[in-house]
Amino acid sequence: MPVTVETPIEKWNGKVREVTLGATQAEGGTRTSTVTVGGSATLPFLHFEGSVPHRPVIAIQIQDVDPQDWSPALRAAWGDTTKDVVAWAKKAAELGPDLIALNLRSAHPDAGNRGADEVAQTVKSVLGAVGLPLIVYGPGVAEKDNDVLVRVAEVTAGERLAIGLCEQGNYRTIVAACLANGHIAIARAPIDVNIQKQINILINDMGLPLDRILMDPTTGALGYGLEYSYSVLERLRLSSLQGDGMTQMPTICTVGEEAWRAKESKVSEGVPEAWGNYAERGVIWETITATTQLQAGADIVVLRHPKAVGLIRKTIDLMMAQ
Amino acid sequence: MIVVGERIHIISPKVKAAIEARDTKAIQEMALRQVEAGSHYLDLNIGPSKKSGVEVMGWIVDAVQQVTDLPLSLDTTNAAAMEAGLKACVRPAMVNSASAEQVRLTNMMPLAAKFNAELIALTMTEQGIPGTADGRAAVALDLINAAMEYGISSDKLYLDPLVLPVSADQPGVKETIEAIRVFKQLVEPAPKTIVGLSNVSNGAPNENRGLINRVFMVMCLGAGLDSAIVDPLDYELIEWAKIVEARDASSPRNRILVSLYDSVANMEDFDPSIVDMSDPEQVAIYKTVQILNNQIIYAHSYLKV
Repeated sequence: MPVTVETPIEKWNGKVREVTLGATQAEGGTRTSTVTVGGSATLPFLHFEGSVPHRPVIAIQIQDVDPQDWSPALRAAWGDTTKDVVAWAKKAAELGPDLIALNLRSAHPDAGNRGADEVAQTVKSVLGAVGLPLIVYGPGVAEKDNDVLVRVAEVTAGERLAIGLCEQGNYRTIVAACLANGHIAIARAPIDVNIQKQINILINDMGLPLDRILMDPTTGALGYGLEYSYSVLERLRLSSLQGDGMTQMPTICTVGEEAWRAKESKVSEGVPEAWGNYAERGVIWETITATTQLQAGADIVVLRHPKAVGLIRKTIDLMMAQ
Repeated sequence: MIVVGERIHIISPKVKAAIEARDTKAIQEMALRQVEAGSHYLDLNIGPSKKSGVEVMGWIVDAVQQVTDLPLSLDTTNAAAMEAGLKACVRPAMVNSASAEQVRLTNMMPLAAKFNAELIALTMTEQGIPGTADGRAAVALDLINAAMEYGISSDKLYLDPLVLPVSADQPGVKETIEAIRVFKQLVEPAPKTIVGLSNVSNGAPNENRGLINRVFMVMCLGAGLDSAIVDPLDYELIEWAKIVEARDASSPRNRILVSLYDSVANMEDFDPSIVDMSDPEQVAIYKTVQILNNQIIYAHSYLKV
């Protein structure tokens, strides 16, 4: 006898907030298109339960200084373009991502220590070369971040960049710059829901509207804390759906950076044969990490390898097909 | 609620100085203030005090006994000091504390038995504190059985589930509260239960700590908590305990506290419809309930949003 099983449908009170990155000329920027993320009223890809108005999106990560410390597999994939950030941005845009994520690594004291004005011009050049909305990361040293990102925010006023990272120990200056120049702040917490919510509150408390904050709960790569970051993403999504306004920001995950930090992605020699083909291994590492983050609730995944970009786009296509 | 006054604790610089100087008068003043505030027991924490524990515990027990008849809770991991303190007590005392860790169990249980003392037993093993109420209950049963073998009856035991900070282990708060409920049902006669209350707000901003402590206390009392180690000079805390004990629903705030107590006692969800959302005090209580129930993610600034 056939048994009818009813699909259980959860009723949620809240949804993820919508955030739009980039501004067109009409909106005060120069982007040829904008990207809206968030808006989900259900867990990831549960189309039968609630609305998923925007697909998760892909950012390709580039940087303004040739990344000689990157895995040989990554360097081989990009070739000489990594020597020129504008050329790299154009090549990345040709792969059809939704966003470009630009790391201002050259401002790091260990990587050239370039000044704020020079670095801000780099951002302008990249904006001139590609029409996609931009994510901009500082060098990751608090003092330089503040110096450089303020200048970047000023010279790109109105572009609605996403700017990071704002952390509990250092957020005020960057948030103020976002506030004054119409940008979006990226709030980073160390795989910790309590600290994530706290930094969100602190940023909002400065007056930055909730639709101009993205959460980066920190990504753990496959084998390096992936299950922890999965739990945190899931908890944040559940909390959003339950109506907690201070956890409803869309999430951004720096998948490429973390996955390509793993030994499995970096090292080609002196490793067990069972680890398989080196050229594919890093791509697999990045793809598995990204897929998992998407299933847990990532709204933006920041990737590094062109092949991973293709695989993840296909994955998102399939998950969004109804 | 049986109030165990915690103010004579080695961690306080004033207490430390008074102990070092053997300042009897200073210790007696601290004791008297806690007596006047309505304490039922006074805790005397001298730390491990490896060198002079025997002498210090004997001295401090004598000092306090000169000014009050309240029973004393002797708080040290030093077994020799514990024994000296118990010897000095003219009334049955409380041993604070044993746990299911082998050394602490075999050190403290025979002493409690020998001196006919009550005993605080922490549900903790060499492996740490079990995360769940059931895990703690299993350890509690071991502690009850071990105590029985030493001739300590279960109603002389104060089982302590060990409170962890909400800021560090938010899902754990409910488990602690449930552990209290389960402990009371383990054996006849029912063991007593006790918590070190203020640990729940450890790590939280100072301005929120009192509120978190108070709301947590009401919830623990609803689950059957008998006793808490607290600062008896925390007037609001003692007041709230009295409100729920007397079921004093004479103000809107009090009605919320009694209703919160009942909701935990009846294992029901707290009904927010009685909260006046325009009254900041009531809203703060409700937000704290949601935080402690793990319904909303804790953040240090949770009262702001």
